[in-house]
Amino acid sequence: MRRLLAAAALALAAPAAAAGAVQQVLLPGPTPYPTPSPPLVTVGPPPWANLPFRIHARSEQRVLAGVDGRGHLVSLRVLQRLLLTGVGDYQFVVSAPVEDVRPGPGSQSQPGLRRGQILWSGFASKRKLLSADAVLRPKPAEPFLPLRLEGDTESGGYTLRLENTTVTSQAAYTGAGFRNELARLLDRTRLESLAGSRLSTAYVELRGLVRATRRTTVAAPLHVEGKLRFPERPKSVVGGTIRGSTVTFSTVLGDERPLNYRLDVRGGGGAPRLHLVARPTAVVRMLVPPGASSWVEAVRRRPLPAKALLQRVLEARMQLVRSDQYQAFLNNPDVAGRNRTVYVYKTAAASPGAATAPSRPRSGDGSGWLMVLLAAGGTVVAAGAALVGWAHS
Amino acid sequence: MRRIAFLLAGLALLAAGCGKSSGAKDAAEHLVIAVDVPVTGSPYVAQTIRQGVALAASNLNGGGGMRVGSKSYELTVKLYDNHLSARRAVQNARRALEAGAVTIVTDGTGVDATWELARREGVSICITYDGGTGLVDAETRPNVFRIAPTNHGIAFRYAEYLIPQKLKVALLADDSAYGREGAADVTRAFASNPEAVALRLTLPAGQTDLTPQMLRARRSGATALLLWGQPPTIAAALSAARSIGWDVPFYTPPTGGDPFIRQQLADHPDWVDGLTFASGRMTAEVGTAPFASFQSQYEAAYGADRVGVKTSDGQAVLQPPEFAMYSYDFVHVLVAAITHAASVEPEKVTAALNEVTTQGANGDERGFNRHSHEGVVDDDVYFARFDDMTFAPVPDDPLSATLPPIQQTRG
Repeated sequence: MRRLLAAAALALAAPAAAAGAVQQVLLPGPTPYPTPSPPLVTVGPPPWANLPFRIHARSEQRVLAGVDGRGHLVSLRVLQRLLLTGVGDYQFVVSAPVEDVRPGPGSQSQPGLRRGQILWSGFASKRKLLSADAVLRPKPAEPFLPLRLEGDTESGGYTLRLENTTVTSQAAYTGAGFRNELARLLDRTRLESLAGSRLSTAYVELRGLVRATRRTTVAAPLHVEGKLRFPERPKSVVGGTIRGSTVTFSTVLGDERPLNYRLDVRGGGGAPRLHLVARPTAVVRMLVPPGASSWVEAVRRRPLPAKALLQRVLEARMQLVRSDQYQAFLNNPDVAGRNRTVYVYKTAAASPGAATAPSRPRSGDGSGWLMVLLAAGGTVVAAGAALVGWAHS
Repeated sequence: MRRIAFLLAGLALLAAGCGKSSGAKDAAEHLVIAVDVPVTGSPYVAQTIRQGVALAASNLNGGGGMRVGSKSYELTVKLYDNHLSARRAVQNARRALEAGAVTIVTDGTGVDATWELARREGVSICITYDGGTGLVDAETRPNVFRIAPTNHGIAFRYAEYLIPQKLKVALLADDSAYGREGAADVTRAFASNPEAVALRLTLPAGQTDLTPQMLRARRSGATALLLWGQPPTIAAALSAARSIGWDVPFYTPPTGGDPFIRQQLADHPDWVDGLTFASGRMTAEVGTAPFASFQSQYEAAYGADRVGVKTSDGQAVLQPPEFAMYSYDFVHVLVAAITHAASVEPEKVTAALNEVTTQGANGDERGFNRHSHEGVVDDDVYFARFDDMTFAPVPDDPLSATLPPIQQTRG
């Protein structure tokens, strides 16, 4: 799809370039997302969906990842709250490698369960809260978590390594832009980023040929806050703060900062209990205007190169799109709906969800169950819309 | 999806036929659907359930049956009369299992006793009338399914509908099993709002004069009656209330829509006016077209269900085939499950019932899942009110207000 878009861009650009004309080119965002998942997609009967246009859904999710002492995933549970607004019927499924699902707190309806699907069906009268507490099989969902943990208990200390795993690469382009317009686009992108809202569609004017550049590495910035509770008070720590027997730390992985983080603790008397919260966050650093309160003002003060401004706006928007993608670990049936996801990693024994999981084993639910990287319908539609928009620009 | 399955099944049949040099056609095997209903206890209910099953089976068989593996199958409907007796239902279940039934469709009579018998053979039971709480439980009764509005759903929808109207509701129920079960659900639904309840009273089922009970209800200060009972009880209560000049609004479960009530009160059609009943909606948001199509098929096969009364302008009143729709839908879900399981073994088919969805006769999706064996969700309960012997969705309930009325008259 991305290749198709790039090819289409170049094909469209060629006649314009011949004329030396100015053309409008679509900037990244709000969609398509660079990869098909998240949200999770599973093999199964084709999901049916009926969320009429007059019903909107806001999704809030809390992903609870249980990890062992080495940071390896042992259990996975998601609490998804879908707030429907509007009047009408709804029928949809949320795909996930789900083992069991129960109504979450405050749910005004009961979720149904099928292989790989959480089902919702009913009638919404202005407002309706659908809350699902789902136990997922960790293995197929693990590749789509935003953070990888690695803990080492060595003699006399403990080391925790964090890695932002949202990294992917995307095709970008370059061309002759207009400095003032690019500055305005940077300001607009910054405003939307700081407001925590989804990017609105934007075009950039480029003169002449639009060229594809080498693929750009993109990662969702993650704000991470952690707490390690040790058996004893640690002697020292690098990368955190000691408070009694607890070490706390806070960092952002991405947004012009490293994608890895390392915490070294000396002492502590053994392996700690970990509690870590990761949130896909805004792009801040990358969008700070140099020596001014806005990009427009910065450009007025000194002639920043248009090529660098274009590259910055493209990369910032790609990161914001990636961040937005991780705001929906499970699907929201409303493609335009607002999503928020918090990822919580906690030290846990294996399968803490067993208490709520059904006692009967199910045939055919083996661990070899495959996740399929299918482009989600919304992504395809959005990509198509982007292409059409581009073609008509 | 179902169309594709039929198409593939059809192509497979065609291919199989082409492969035989003799050109002889495979003899289809018969897959038995047992229908256990109160033919002599509640004939209208029995007839509508049986005809719904038979119509779906006839449609499938008329299209060449279905192909499962190397065999083709046609559906055969076997009728059993349970006389509204649990003991007879048990006898019927045994006979149905001996006959090799893949499923038993029932009004709900005796399911507390029959489900275990059926489960031993892996056979599913589908209730298409009785909404009793406890009859269906996906965990403890994994082979029992239901496509019919539940008492629980109706009771809670009534609480949701009536309490905001600031009515003082007399909660009445007759002493039949149906009435007692409904009363329990209504009590739970109104438990948090005792200020909305004027009176709780049990009525003797089968008694034709309920004047003393209606006088007592009126003295309690009730401004509405929610009566959970069999159609004769509702008819008797309406008759008594109107006879003493009490024009109180009546609210009832689906039994309020039973033709019997209108037949009993045919001499006083105005007494029926304002009677409201709750049931599963017959139309979806897509409109009346799917249900109208089903209704016309049903009437072409069996004729219209005439209520036996007329409107004020002399038009004959017809009863829409609501409960026939549920049994009709179940057969479609069953066929989808057989296709999904690629087997006619009852145990596999029963398991597959949790995994399939079909489009119901009213345009809604119909199916079950591992956590819920209810084919009508509580949200689908709507309220309809009688006027001039026909009913229409009420305008003051958000769901009901979205539903178009169903044509019920014929000149």
